[in-house]
Amino acid sequence: MTSREKILNSIASNKPALTTLPNVPIFEGDGSIERFKTVLEGIGGRVIEVASKADCQAAIDKYYSDLKNVASDIVKANVAVNLDTTKEILEQVDLAVIQGEIGVAENGTIWVPEINMLNRALPFITQHLVLVLDKNNIVANMQQAYNKLENVGSYGVFIAGPSKTADIEQSLVIGAHGARSMMVLIY
Amino acid sequence: MNHQNHPELAEAFNKDFERTTWHDETLWFVRQKRDKAVYPIPEFQDLRTLASEIKDHTLSNLDNYLIEFEQNAIKNGVKVHWAADAAEHNQIVMDIIKSSCKVEGRNTRMVKSKSMLTEECHLNAFLQKNNIDVVDTDLGERIIQFRDEPPSHIVMPAIHLKKEDVGETFHEHLGTTKGEKDPQILTEAARQHLREKFVAADVALTGVNFAIAETGSFVVCTNEGNADLGVNLAKVHIASMGIEKMIPKLHHLSVYTRLLARSATGQPITTYTSHFTKPAEGKEMHIVIVDNGRTQQLGRADFRNSLKCIRCGACMNTCPVYRRSGGHSYDFTVPGPIGAILSPNIDLHKYSSLPFASTLCGSCSDVCPVKIDIHVQLYKWRQIVGQANELPAAKKWGMKGLAKVLSMPKVYDLGGKLARGALRVLPHGLTHNQSMNPWAKARELPDAPKQSFKEWYEENRK
Ligand code: SF4
Repeated sequence: MTSREKILNSIASNKPALTTLPNVPIFEGDGSIERFKTVLEGIGGRVIEVASKADCQAAIDKYYSDLKNVASDIVKANVAVNLDTTKEILEQVDLAVIQGEIGVAENGTIWVPEINMLNRALPFITQHLVLVLDKNNIVANMQQAYNKLENVGSYGVFIAGPSKTADIEQSLVIGAHGARSMMVLIY
Repeated sequence: MNHQNHPELAEAFNKDFERTTWHDETLWFVRQKRDKAVYPIPEFQDLRTLASEIKDHTLSNLDNYLIEFEQNAIKNGVKVHWAADAAEHNQIVMDIIKSSCKVEGRNTRMVKSKSMLTEECHLNAFLQKNNIDVVDTDLGERIIQFRDEPPSHIVMPAIHLKKEDVGETFHEHLGTTKGEKDPQILTEAARQHLREKFVAADVALTGVNFAIAETGSFVVCTNEGNADLGVNLAKVHIASMGIEKMIPKLHHLSVYTRLLARSATGQPITTYTSHFTKPAEGKEMHIVIVDNGRTQQLGRADFRNSLKCIRCGACMNTCPVYRRSGGHSYDFTVPGPIGAILSPNIDLHKYSSLPFASTLCGSCSDVCPVKIDIHVQLYKWRQIVGQANELPAAKKWGMKGLAKVLSMPKVYDLGGKLARGALRVLPHGLTHNQSMNPWAKARELPDAPKQSFKEWYEENRK
């Protein structure tokens, strides 16, 4: 008998009588930009409202003029990143500006699917991360977010703020392994 | 080596009074953060009920969900492996590395994000023996890996250490300045050190927080981004999961992602909630599904719902015994209240003291996001430990005597009278004889009343 059969047989003989699967309601809640902003700033992110998607460039010029190597398909970039980009090049990226799809007001998280990432490693290896988000795509909670999400594609991540750790004596440190800062441009 | 039980190890931990107090307060601080994060969510209790019922249902149909998950994962181009126990899990991981990560003239390099399952399987030691260099990339795990210690908490593995300890460890292993203890500077040193490891890795191993039958996807939650960084830079991704990580549908994640981080650390959500479905072009993704005692626990009606645990650690943070005895005193991969109900299933003899490492106050059950009746299970394990004759000697004779006396009311009355008299006159050394009465350690008795309640009631009843 293979281990697969052994495990499945053992479950079949040990599991309890079938219980019903509950329905998960779409809970109501506050899906406002204000709440999204307050929560995300509470976990170390930064939120800037811009008039339109085209104004993202001006915001990047304003806030990140000191960063050299930029990867993006939304604003001017000087590092070309695609699926085949090597680790050595990815390592040099200072700023990545990519599209986020859904924002969640309750916890400040943003859904980023693989197709927006340019390369799966980019949102994590970049020193600083900017996500661009349509204000009409902010929902109140995770029920509403998963409801909006038709499928998760090959790979996708909810990202909430910059990388952080509190592993040394519970002191919060921003910038563990991933992005040292995270900004959301809402248009 | 002689196995030390919980009271012995807890006593050793308590020798350093200041550190014990600090540990207690640090964990309580996390519990308070949890409360602050939980109270503003009006439907929090509904979410707990949903989380509990979804897991109950999943366990009652677990074989079919695992099959559905496997079929979908295979369709996604993922390789699925099954391991009956820890040894088989480790061997499978080794075989994947051998066939997929051939390297010449050096050891294969693995980066690993947090996985309690691989701790349970003692994977690191096994791989190191087989010339695989394993680097734990979660900061807390890296710290204890340097120190060659097991984690003392499932969410905060290095919670038993002070920043001075970490500074000392980093001075030795990463060359930070002697005496440096600023968490910001120490974390930056670890970041630089681990970036090199991420870029150099051949294979990345992660745990699994949730596996979704409907899509064949699995979800990994981290704050540091170490899981994604490792996986997305290495050629091969191995994900190790216990069979109990299943949930039926994608949208069920909406329940657990609202509960996990709030219960664990008081954050609204983990920084990264990563959904892995298909490997990237030219790369490999493997899932190892592990039993290692879980199907046996599923067969124990009184204890099976311990398998609903989502490893948030809230029951540890709130537990007065955990907070004052430290994670290492449990000497089991998962410490605290949940560890004390999981461990006797694995080895009743070795872990017979753990169900007693509790005041049965029930705080663990109150905070558990999937509503496991932890304190009830602790109580039930005590009965089983007793029946199996595994009670510690002092407890056993105490209980036997008590049972006799309680069955004879006259003897009970007389005994009470004598005791009240005796407690007033007996020397402290006798009432506080520590091998007979460990409870008396660090505790004083109140003055014995002259009358029993029964006597008082008879006198005052009108
Ligand atoms: S038993 Fe409950 S509270 Fe404890 S770690 Fe598991 S899910 Fe969290």
